[in-house]
Amino acid sequence: MNFDVISPKTTPELLNAIYDNQSKNFRIGAGFTDLINQFKAQETEGLILINLAQLTEVDFKKISENEINFQIGALTTASELIDNKSIKENFPVLYQAANKLASTQIRNVATVGGNICNVSPSGDMTAALIALKATCHIIDCDGNERKELLSSFIRGLKKTSLTKKELIKNITIPKNFSKNIKSGYEKVGSRKSMEIAIVSLAYHLQMDDKGVITYAGVACGAVAPTIPFTTSACEFLTGKNINDISDSEKEEFAKRVLSYANPISDIRASDWYRKEVLFNISKTIFER
Amino acid sequence: MILTFKINGEWVTQEIKPSLLLIDLIRDVLQLKGTKPGCLEGECGACSVIVNGDAINSCMYLAINVDGKEVTTIEGLENNENPLHQVQEKMLEHGAVQCGFCSPGMVMTTKAYSDKCIAEGITPTREEVKKSLEGNLCRCTGYAKIIDAAEAVYK
Amino acid sequence: MMKVIGKSHQKLDGKERVSGKAVYGHDIELPNMLHGSILRTKYPCAEIISIDTSKALSLDGVECIITANDVDVNNIGYKKDHPILKKGTVNCNRDEIAAVAARTKEIADKAIQLIEVEYKIKEGVYDPFEALKETTPRINEFGKGAEQFGNKNMAESFHYEHGNLEEQKAKSKVIIKKRYELPRVTHACIATSNITAEFNNFDGRLTLWSSTQVPFLYQRDIAHALKMEPSKIRVIQPIIGGGFGSKLDMHPFEPICALLAIKSGKPVQILYSREEEFIASPTRQPMVIELTTGCDENGKFTFREVEIIKDNGAYTSWGATTPFVMMQSYSSLYQVPACKFDSHAVYTNNPFAGSFRGYGNPQATFSIESNIDLMAEELGMSQAEIRLINANYKGEITGQGLHFKTCGAIPALKTVIEKSNYDKIMATPNTGRYRRGVGLGSMLHVGGGAKIYRSDGCGTTLKIDDYGYLTIVTGSNEIGQGSETVLAMIAMEELGIPKEKIKVINTDTDVKPWDVGVHASRTSFVAGNSLLGAIKLIKEKLSKKAIELLDVVTDDWEYANGMMRFNEFEIKLDKVVREMHFASPHELCMVNYFYEPPSKFQDKDFKGDVSGNYAFASQAIEVEVDTVTGNVRVLNVHVSQDVGRVLNPVGLQGQMEGGLATGIGYALTEEMIYEKGVLKNPSFHGYKMLTSTDMPDVHFYPIETYDEAGPYGSKGAGEAPLIPTAAAIANAVSNALGVRFYSLPITAEKVLRALASPTPPKEGLLREAKPVTKHQ
Ligand SMILES: Cc1cc2nc3c(=O)[nH]c(=O)nc-3n(C[C@H](O)[C@H](O)[C@H](O)COP(=O)(O)OP(=O)(O)OC[C@H]3O[C@@H](n4cnc5c(N)ncnc54)[C@H](O)[C@@H]3O)c2cc1C
Ligand code: FES
Ligand code: FES
Repeated sequence: MNFDVISPKTTPELLNAIYDNQSKNFRIGAGFTDLINQFKAQETEGLILINLAQLTEVDFKKISENEINFQIGALTTASELIDNKSIKENFPVLYQAANKLASTQIRNVATVGGNICNVSPSGDMTAALIALKATCHIIDCDGNERKELLSSFIRGLKKTSLTKKELIKNITIPKNFSKNIKSGYEKVGSRKSMEIAIVSLAYHLQMDDKGVITYAGVACGAVAPTIPFTTSACEFLTGKNINDISDSEKEEFAKRVLSYANPISDIRASDWYRKEVLFNISKTIFER
Repeated sequence: MILTFKINGEWVTQEIKPSLLLIDLIRDVLQLKGTKPGCLEGECGACSVIVNGDAINSCMYLAINVDGKEVTTIEGLENNENPLHQVQEKMLEHGAVQCGFCSPGMVMTTKAYSDKCIAEGITPTREEVKKSLEGNLCRCTGYAKIIDAAEAVYK
Repeated sequence: MMKVIGKSHQKLDGKERVSGKAVYGHDIELPNMLHGSILRTKYPCAEIISIDTSKALSLDGVECIITANDVDVNNIGYKKDHPILKKGTVNCNRDEIAAVAARTKEIADKAIQLIEVEYKIKEGVYDPFEALKETTPRINEFGKGAEQFGNKNMAESFHYEHGNLEEQKAKSKVIIKKRYELPRVTHACIATSNITAEFNNFDGRLTLWSSTQVPFLYQRDIAHALKMEPSKIRVIQPIIGGGFGSKLDMHPFEPICALLAIKSGKPVQILYSREEEFIASPTRQPMVIELTTGCDENGKFTFREVEIIKDNGAYTSWGATTPFVMMQSYSSLYQVPACKFDSHAVYTNNPFAGSFRGYGNPQATFSIESNIDLMAEELGMSQAEIRLINANYKGEITGQGLHFKTCGAIPALKTVIEKSNYDKIMATPNTGRYRRGVGLGSMLHVGGGAKIYRSDGCGTTLKIDDYGYLTIVTGSNEIGQGSETVLAMIAMEELGIPKEKIKVINTDTDVKPWDVGVHASRTSFVAGNSLLGAIKLIKEKLSKKAIELLDVVTDDWEYANGMMRFNEFEIKLDKVVREMHFASPHELCMVNYFYEPPSKFQDKDFKGDVSGNYAFASQAIEVEVDTVTGNVRVLNVHVSQDVGRVLNPVGLQGQMEGGLATGIGYALTEEMIYEKGVLKNPSFHGYKMLTSTDMPDVHFYPIETYDEAGPYGSKGAGEAPLIPTAAAIANAVSNALGVRFYSLPITAEKVLRALASPTPPKEGLLREAKPVTKHQ
C-alpha cells in the first residue's frame, strides 16, 4: 500500500479536501475495516485517502434524539451503538445487528456510514437500518445537503446514489410510536461468531396495546444484490394481531419475504439453501 | 508524515509513511515484536492492541490514526513490580498457553474487556466472556482454558 | 508417592510466551537480511513455455532471483517426486516457479508480479478415480506407479489382511457396506510458515531457523535437496506457532530460502501470508472409503473389508504413509477376526496432502464408528452394547500383532456412556425446531511412538553445574504441546531440583543429540524414557561421589529440595557436584543417554507390535440440530482416554480441548473448497475454524492403566482427542434427526437438504441408512 492521506479535523476542512481533489483519484475512509482489505488487493500508488477518523465534528459522531427521530452520526462505531441504552431499548434489531458484526476489535472501529457505503448485501447494520426505514443525510463539497431513504440510497450491487462530491453525515431513524415492539436480527452462518451472513433477517414490528401490528419493517440480507425492504410481507402483517397469527399466515408471510430473494450460489451456500433458510427463519420470528 | 502518540506510557514522535499500518509501526518501526501477525486481514485477533482503552486489530488500523492517542501493546503490561499482568498470571495458571502465538492477542483483548467490566462494575457471565474472545482464533487450546482464565480475572 | 508427577504444572516457558517475549520465526531479524517471495503458478496444470525475470531483476531493491534453470538440486518428498522449483510443467496450484530476494518484503512481492511466465494451459485431473483410468495422462513425471503398482498415476499402495474373510462373512448376520467421503482440511496454525536462512561463504555452512518438527530428518532432507553434507547444515528452531503435523515434511520454500541465501550471500527470510499458508501448506488426505463390515447375531464383529482411494495431490509427502495408522484401526480397533485393507494414493492435479494430527485415523475411525452404529441399528441392538461386547481388552494380541499389554478401552467406553446419559438421550423422542442427539466414537492409536524410520529413538544429555542447576539437552522438540514441561517435571521428581533451576535446551541440531522428531504422539514417551535413562546414569555418578564424601554405603538416596538424603546422612547436591569437579578425579557431572523404544518394524505384511504401547479413547458427544437453519451445535463432549498415567493434568486437558476443537471443525465446518484445483477459500474468513463461542463444554475422564513401557506408566496422548470426534458427532446427528451423513463436514446445507428431501425424515430416512448388502 502506498497512498497519501488527508486527515481533516473539521467539516470545512473535510469539504475542502473533497472539493480540491475532485479531479483526482480519492477515497473516503472511516474505520477502514473494508477499505484496508480493498487497498491491499489493488494498486494504491497515486491514490488519495480522505481520512474521516480524525474528524472532531459531533454531527458525524453522536447519537441523539428529538421528537420525531434518532440521529446516528455516520462515524458511530458498532460498539458505540451497542453501548447506547436508547438504541438497545428502542431498536433491538439494530442493537443485535451491530452486536453480531464480526468481533469486538472490528466493532470498535467499524462505522455505520462505512457499513452502508460498502453496500454489501450482507451488511448487518445496513439491513437493520433498512428495516427501520432509516434516512441518510448527505452533504456535498458545495455546501448542499440532501436526504434519501436508505433503501433507495442503495442503487444496486456496490452502488449508491452518492456522487463524487458527497458523503454521508448521519442517519436518522423515525422514533417508535409504540412501546410494544417485536424487533430482532437473525443472522445465519456456519459458526456463531466472525461470520458474514449467509442469510439475515432484520425485523422491527410495532403493535398497539392490543397487539395489532401497526408498523412492520422487514429486510433480508445476503439473498439479493441489495438488501430489500420486503414491502408486501410488511403490508401483509400490518393490521394483524401478533398474538394470533395462524400457521398459514406465517407461511404466507414467509412466502412474501421469499419473493424478494434472488440469491446467488457461492462457496458458502447455494441459492437453494439461502432461500430455504430465509423461508424457515421468516416463519420463526413470531415464536419468541 | 509526523505522528505523535503515547506508546506503553511514553510519548513518541515518529516520521512515518501515510499508508503504514499500525501493526507495521509496532513491529517493524518500534521493534515491539510481541504483537503477532496471524492473518493481516482482521480475522484472527493475534495482532490485538489497545488504543484509548479499546481493543482493536492493529492490522486493520492506519498508523496515522493513533495520532494523539494512547496505544498499549503486550510489552506495555510489564512493570517493575509486576512483570506479568493479572490476565497473564491467570492464563498461565489455567494452562491457557500452548504454542502461544495467539496469546498476546488473547491477553490484550481480555485486558481491555476486564478494564471495561471493572469500570462498569459488572461480572460477565461465561457466555459473555466467550463472546468477548470471539475475534481471537486459537488452534491449540480449544479456548476452554483461555475462557477459564478470563473468567478467573473477573472473579 | 509422586511429588511432582500427576500434579498440574505451568508451562516451562509460559511466561515468555504470554508476555510476547518468545521469539518466533516471524520475529527474527538478522543484519542485512533480505526478504524472499515465491512466484507460484497461475494455473494448476500447465506447461511452462518461458520465464522472463528481466523486469523483476531491474526493480530497485531486488537482489537475486532463482528459477529451476539456475539451480542444481535434487527432488524432494517422501517419493522424491517433487522438484523444488518447477520447469517444464506445473502440476498443482501451489507449484513454485521462481523466487526473489529483495531488501523489503514489499519489493519482493512486487518483483514476483513482474516475472513474466508464458503458460500453455492443460486440462488437469482433479478426481482420483478419473486419474486411475487408462486414458488419463501421467500426472507426475517422476512417479513410479506404473512399475510399482501397475498404474502410472498410483503414488503409493498398501495391502493388508488377516483372518479368513470368507468364513467370517458366512458367519455374519448383518453386513453393512458404505461409502464415506472425507474432505481436505488444513492445520491452519496461527503462525504462518516461515524460515530464515544464512549461508557462510567461508566454510560452506548453512544455518536455518526453521519451524520443522523433525529437525534431524530435515537436516538430512535439506542436505539431499541441496546436494550438501548434512553436518554442514545447522537447524535452529525458534518458538513454533503451531505444528499439528504440518511441519513433518520439508516443503519447497525451505530449500528455496536456502538457495536464495546462498546465491545472494545474505540472510534471507520467507514468511507466508495467510493466503499463501492456505494455498501452499499441507492438508489432511481427502479420501473415499468403501467399508464393508459384519457382525453375527449376537453383535460380535466378524470382519472388515475396506478399499480406500486417497487423493495424493500432485506430489507425495509423508502423508502417503497414513495407511500405517489406518490399517491399525481397521484391523484392531475393537476385536476383528478378519480384515482386508487396500489403500491407494493417487496422483491428481490437486495440491498435495501432508500429515496432520491423527494421521489418517480420523478418517478411518469415522467410517468404522458409523458402520458400527448402522450394524447395531440393523440388529436392533443398543449402540453402546455392541461396542462394549467387541471392545479391546488387556492382553489382547490383535490380528495385526499389536499387543495390548494394558488397555483402557472398556472403562473409557463405560465412563462416557454413563457420564453423558447416553442411553437416556438416545431414547428421548425428538420433535420441534431443535433436535438433540448423542453419539459414540472410540479410537485406537499408537501411544509409544511408531517405528517408521530406522530409529525411533531420542538422545539426552544432562549436566548439573557447580551451583546445582540442571540443564537437560534433549533431542526432542517443543511445538507448543508442552513436552518441555513434562521433561522438567520428570527431572524435578527424580532429582529433587526445583523448576527454577532447570533449563531445557532443545532447539539446535549443532548442540542437541539425535531424535526422530515430533510425531505419533511420541514425545513424552520417547523423550521421557530417554530422560529417565539419563537420570539413572547421573544418579549413579552422584551416588558414587556422595558415598565417598559421606562415607556411607547405600544406593538408596532420596533426592529432595536440592539435597541427597539417606537416613540421617544428607548432603547438598551442588556440593557433590563441586567435589566431583574440583577434587580428584576432576569430573564434570554430565551424562549422555540414548533411548530406542522396544517397538519393532512391522514385517512386510505389516504385522508386528509397532508401538511401545497403545492409547484408547471414547467420546460421547451431544449435539443439537437446528432444523430451521440446519446448523449443528455441539453441546457437550464427554471424553475418556487411556493415557496410561496422567503426568501433567492441566497440560493433558489442554491437549484434549485443543484436539477436540479441531475435531469438531473437521466434523462440521472446515473444508478447503477447490474448483478445478484452485482453492476458493484461502482465508480465515472462508475457512471456518471454531471460535470461542462455538466451543462446547469438555468433560474429560482420564483412565490410568499404568503401562510399564512409558515414563511412570504414561502413554502418548496428543493425537487421540480429535480422532473419534467426527465419528461421534455424525452418530449424534443421526440420532437427533434419523438421517445419516456419510461425508464431512456435516454442513448446515447438507442437513437442510436431507431434511427437505422427498422421503420424510423419521422412519423413511432411517430406512435409507440400511445396509446395501445383506446376508441372512
Ligand atoms: C474481519 C472482518 C469481519 C467483518 N465482519 C462483518 C460482519 O459481520 N458484518 C458486516 O456487516 N460487516 C463486516 N465486516 C465489514 C466491515 O467491518 C463493515 O462493513 C464496517 O461497518 C465498515 O465500516 P468502516 O468504517 O470500517 O468502513 P471503511 O472501510 O472505512 O469504508 C467502507 C466504505 O464506505 C465508504 N465510507 C465510509 N464512511 C463513509 C461516509 N461517511 N460517507 C460516504 N462513504 C463512506 C468508504 O469510502 C468505503 O467505500 C467485516 C470486516 C472485517 C475485516
Ligand atoms: S493479524 Fe490482525 S487480525 Fe489477524
Ligand atoms: S496457543 Fe497456539 S494458537 Fe493459541
